Amino acid sequence: MIEFTLNGKLVQSHDEPDTPLLWVVRDSFKLKGSKFGCGMAQCGACTMHIDGRAQRSCVMPVAAVVGKSITTIEGLGTPDNLHPLQQAWAEQGVPQCGYCQSGQIMSAAALLNENPNPSEAQVEAAMAGNICRCGCYPRIKTAILTVAEQSQPGAVQVAIPMPVSEEV
Amino acid sequence: MSGIKLTRRGFLKTTGIVGGGLLIGYVAMPGDNTPAVIPEAGAIAPNAFIQLTAENKLVFYSPRDEMGQGVYMGLTTLVAEELDVSPVDIQVEFASVHDAYRHPEYGVQGTGGSSSIRVHYLPLRQVAADTRALLLNAAAQDLAVPLSSLTTDNGHIVSNGNTYPYSDFIATADTMELPVGSPLKAKADFKYIGQDIARNDALAKSTGTAVYGVDIDLPDMHYALVSRSPVAGGTVVSFDDSAARAVNGVTDIVQIDSGVAVVAKSFWQAKKAIAALSVTWDQPALADYSSALIKADYQAAIDSGEGDSKSEGNIEEGLQLATKQVEREFWTPYLAHTPMEPVNAVVRIANGKAELWAGTQGPSTARGLVARHAQLPVENVTVHSLFSGGGFGRRTCLSHVSEATQVAVATDKTIKLLWTRENDVQNGWFRQASIMKVHAGVDSQGLVTVWDAARAGGDLTPHSISSLLPGAFASSPDWVNSMTVSALENLYDGWIIDGGGVEGLVDDYDFPNKKLRHTSVNHGLPLAPWRSVGHSFTAFAKETVMDELAEQAGIDSIDFRKRNLQGNPRLLGALEAVEQGLKDWQLAEGRHIGIAAHGSFQSYVAQAAEVSVEKGKIRVHRVLCAIDCGQVVNPAIVRGQMEGAIMYGLTAVLYGDIQIENGAVKESNFHDYKMLRINEAPAVEVIIVESDQPPTGVGEPGLPPVGPAVANAVYRATGERLTSMPLQPA
Repeated sequence: MIEFTLNGKLVQSHDEPDTPLLWVVRDSFKLKGSKFGCGMAQCGACTMHIDGRAQRSCVMPVAAVVGKSITTIEGLGTPDNLHPLQQAWAEQGVPQCGYCQSGQIMSAAALLNENPNPSEAQVEAAMAGNICRCGCYPRIKTAILTVAEQSQPGAVQVAIPMPVSEEV
Repeated sequence: MSGIKLTRRGFLKTTGIVGGGLLIGYVAMPGDNTPAVIPEAGAIAPNAFIQLTAENKLVFYSPRDEMGQGVYMGLTTLVAEELDVSPVDIQVEFASVHDAYRHPEYGVQGTGGSSSIRVHYLPLRQVAADTRALLLNAAAQDLAVPLSSLTTDNGHIVSNGNTYPYSDFIATADTMELPVGSPLKAKADFKYIGQDIARNDALAKSTGTAVYGVDIDLPDMHYALVSRSPVAGGTVVSFDDSAARAVNGVTDIVQIDSGVAVVAKSFWQAKKAIAALSVTWDQPALADYSSALIKADYQAAIDSGEGDSKSEGNIEEGLQLATKQVEREFWTPYLAHTPMEPVNAVVRIANGKAELWAGTQGPSTARGLVARHAQLPVENVTVHSLFSGGGFGRRTCLSHVSEATQVAVATDKTIKLLWTRENDVQNGWFRQASIMKVHAGVDSQGLVTVWDAARAGGDLTPHSISSLLPGAFASSPDWVNSMTVSALENLYDGWIIDGGGVEGLVDDYDFPNKKLRHTSVNHGLPLAPWRSVGHSFTAFAKETVMDELAEQAGIDSIDFRKRNLQGNPRLLGALEAVEQGLKDWQLAEGRHIGIAAHGSFQSYVAQAAEVSVEKGKIRVHRVLCAIDCGQVVNPAIVRGQMEGAIMYGLTAVLYGDIQIENGAVKESNFHDYKMLRINEAPAVEVIIVESDQPPTGVGEPGLPPVGPAVANAVYRATGERLTSMPLQPA
């Protein structure tokens, strides 16, 4: 039995110890937001936070996270209680197929935790491990920089105008 | 190689729609007699697309599938406009498989060819307008007021200043006949069409709550992974599963058509077992081929001068009129699609019924495949379509559905069959490789006088038909299918030119004397439509030669194209929009601009790429893209599709190359089949050309110009004309 914290709750895994964390979270704990993309830490679709750092869970044996704290996209925010990045993602229409976006957002959240005011180059460096085949890169960059700007002290907190339908 | 046929025949125009759908469309298909939608209690479903519930919730059943291209929002917007309800308030469901949801042009229920908005623009609006008219009729009767006194507002009937939810009139509407031919809104009255409204799937896709095929989890479900022949078409001679069976959690190991399947309780157990499995394969002729040999065959084919051809005007005269000539040959390799979600399928068979969960580009074919392998009538098969984690043409090929069904039948278990990324890169279907040749001339006025083009490579249509047939005709015997496919292969090899291999190569410009020749070469690697199909490589040849002709003629590359686009005002318009946009660009030292323009899927796209080359490495800094796709339904999605197609194209331009070694694909995962990443992504500016024409495609047309635009910029940077993809400066 392997014990760790998953989205703030202490959990026990009975999976074989070499099972990658991704499959434990998806299939034993039924949290499907983190995705399988490559199985060799090349694409970032499986990105979770392990003790606050963005890690590729598809190559992380569950035995290696004993006692650690794991956060998945489900723990970052929910449709009713969005993380600012999730809000920016939805408002700016970042996702196309959407499959890689949980991983993208987890990488972005880890970046902003560490560096709340990253430069464009720092955003690119932090996000280079996450592949998006739909090519949402320009919007990912804009969304992260927008959230970073808004979180700065003295920043005017203007809600990004969400181009919703006109309510007549 | 299937031989270079020496037959010369008249040219039969074939269009490049996603492989062969048209053909199947002409064949009578079995009909569905059951209603497409059975409304819940207190609700009405006046047609196959709309349900109105007692809580005044409108449900839209989308006939097309969502793989990122935006139909989930786009088609909903069409319905919303005429129903007079905000699209974000409409609940969207993927349609079941039913005649009512067939693609109007393809005959099967499929998604592709950048066609969804184009073919549904009027029909879906009509269905919604008729539904609104029905509700108005019912309200007039219930409220005992003249019909002309009523209007609607966001899901409500307005009468004398009072508003009533649509659902108040369900009971009466249920007794009335659905009006037909109700007037559609004029463009000036559009509330939602043409507006930048945030995608209705963005929130789910930003919170990990959107459900893809890979997320389906059923009681007692088992994972299946398959060991397939490393060389396409290979068959199992024997296998040793003793070590694999010893892996904890493994429950079954069964042979299926495509190889040997390992079934286990968890993905990880199946993964360990498949590594322990030893299979001996009988390899087909492809096993004798490697990339160099394949390319040599293509070279021999194009050099032979043989094949099918079509011409207009007089090539000799055109050559005589030319004061300058250009002759170039181009190579474009095989490519994999690599959608982020590898293909997968969940199949459950119980009590003579089967269910499939999968995101596909062809749910009706998928249903047929389940029926075929489960030996059930199609009526007993339910398909649950889900979001697809990328398609790009890959999800038109559904062998994974056949595999999952075969494993479910053989093991009597509920099966989730998943392709690993290695399977995806090595065992799938590929964009066809090509050699193209263009010999063109220009006169002293800067007008192209002659365009003589040829292509040698694989024919897409027989491959597409072979993957569609077993599902389209679930009960036809295998031998009938293989006979049909082999007849088609012969037809394309020497009789007709497959549109998917040449579309765009002799098009767009005013070529007075032109010729197109095609030679079929087939080594047996399975082929599939890949985002923008033939245009994905023909634009490279066409736009590189146009650039070189401009240079030869001593005319600016935009001016030169404009002179030769007089008969194509919409592509001319897109190019002029790029010309205008470029006026605001300041070029930094060492940066160069390349231009390309190309029409595809009835849309018109021009691009400018700003590029630098340092130490042999190409860096694309900015792309300016103008598109004329007729009436725009959602500008944000159009811009997104241009951005995305440019990035998808750039992966191919900078890296894409599937190499064959002894018949097997050499690359295996993202470490050796590289993808464009965010630090290499250019900034993209999109100009949407104003148009009152009906809407046309946006999923694919943004891709074809990016390759030649970058190549033409590289020429300006280095003086070297690159004619092979991926682009590799010396």
